[in-house]
Amino acid sequence: MMYLNKIAIIAYYTFREIIKSRVLLNTLILGLVLLFTTYVALSFTYGSPERVTLDFGMGMLSLSSVGIAIFMGVGLLSKEIESRTAYMIISRPVKRSAFILGKLLGLGSILTLNIFILSSFTLFLYFFVGGEFQPLILWTILFTILESLLVLFIVALFSLLAGQAISVIMTIGLYVSGHAIHSAKEALADKSIVLNTLLEAYHYILPGFYKLNIKDFLLYQKELPYMYLLNIFTYGVIYSVALILLSVIIFERKNLD
Amino acid sequence: MLEFNDVTKIFNSDLLKKPFIALDKVSFEIKPGEVIGFLGANGAGKTTSIKMAMDFIRPSSGQISYHADLGRDKVDAFKRIGYLPERPFFYPHITGREFCHYMGSLSEVSRKSIIEQIQYWGPRLKIDFALDRVIKSYSKGMLQRIGFLATLLHRPKLIILDEPLSGLDPIGRKELKDIITQVNKKGVTVFFSSHIISDVEEVCSEVIFLEKGKLVFNGEVQKIINEHLKMESIVRYVKEGKVLTHKVADNEKRNFIESLIKNNFELVSVTPEKPTLEEIFYKVKSS
Repeated sequence: MMYLNKIAIIAYYTFREIIKSRVLLNTLILGLVLLFTTYVALSFTYGSPERVTLDFGMGMLSLSSVGIAIFMGVGLLSKEIESRTAYMIISRPVKRSAFILGKLLGLGSILTLNIFILSSFTLFLYFFVGGEFQPLILWTILFTILESLLVLFIVALFSLLAGQAISVIMTIGLYVSGHAIHSAKEALADKSIVLNTLLEAYHYILPGFYKLNIKDFLLYQKELPYMYLLNIFTYGVIYSVALILLSVIIFERKNLD
Repeated sequence: MLEFNDVTKIFNSDLLKKPFIALDKVSFEIKPGEVIGFLGANGAGKTTSIKMAMDFIRPSSGQISYHADLGRDKVDAFKRIGYLPERPFFYPHITGREFCHYMGSLSEVSRKSIIEQIQYWGPRLKIDFALDRVIKSYSKGMLQRIGFLATLLHRPKLIILDEPLSGLDPIGRKELKDIITQVNKKGVTVFFSSHIISDVEEVCSEVIFLEKGKLVFNGEVQKIINEHLKMESIVRYVKEGKVLTHKVADNEKRNFIESLIKNNFELVSVTPEKPTLEEIFYKVKSS
């Protein structure tokens, strides 16, 4: 109980520290820019304004949350070690695992809040231009949260092993390839058995971000089976837990000098 | 309270470079109730030792153990240990008060007790006026003070301070030294590192000297001073209305005083000359 309490305390102050650093002010500004650009885009569009609104909004949502996850996540643990703020916490009766879980939970909450704010702007405009509610909207938002959390856990893990610049480059690389892998598999798999095996192996080991991208289904109002969505959600959760566990194991053994 | 047994720390920063021995089979014990100064030049291994004591880094060999009166295990012992790092840097966007509540709650201190401790130590550490300011507006000295306040919040039995007096002005140093003494009088064991020997001499009852990762001396300050007492005395006397001082070897002291009396000079005082800890340190270092 005390262990969970300490995770909550660390998460609360991490959240508070980031809120006070005015990161979310940027989100609000981005939200207003989103409203404005969507409005401008709508005036050049003939036909489906609600689709344009969703396309713009969900795209911006995904990019901004992944951006925050990468650029705040890379310093989440490494900066704490560099500036010795981690010393103040670990010198208290706090397990290292509680420290890392609290930090991840704190930034994870910021990402979730960021997505809620931006999706509120998008949905406001979507309903304003006559869009109708589809359950897939909520699934898309949920998967965007999951995607940004996955990116956060990846960059935090890399930052424990390498410098900040390398961690950012590797995370962006994984993010891009994780989205492109599906198309690459479809286009290249038949051409070589070796390539097919490699793509298959990648598919099982590294994060398949493309699975979390269901925006096309949302835009073209295609149905997705409930079990399929649940499977993707479970995949994202299991992958996240594995990344967190790996980070905890590394952090427990790490020399903090 | 805390014991180092043959602790060695080797850093292998680069495959091509020779490993660096930061600490070489160092053994010492921190006894309860004392103020222990941890002395050594920059790079002697003080901060490395403290980081190992706090489990931030692990020894290459040897053991560091906490006595049972501190706690069952490391996490339990940390409920009774206060720690202040060298050149502290805290979360810049929260206020000093929020920082204290953060640290206090992690140390399992009730909100009421945190408030009481802030009210007690805030004015004494002269940081009460800035508690509601964000930490990024703090000066170096203020960071040191708020860090010290956070160190005391959970009423620790042992406090470990890494260069607590660095970055403070002379008045700040004096105030902090007074607080260290005050805290020790309340029964708290204080272990603090410094490279300023006069500070250690002023406050500490025991001292541990490190030199290039090796233990040079470990013992009572008074004992080390007595061991290095010069066999000389300072004689002060009045001659033609002026007070003069004369340094005289102990074996010549009697003759010198007799000659003063014979010549009708007024004797003011005779005091054995004590070396400073600093002088002893340089003597030990050069030998």
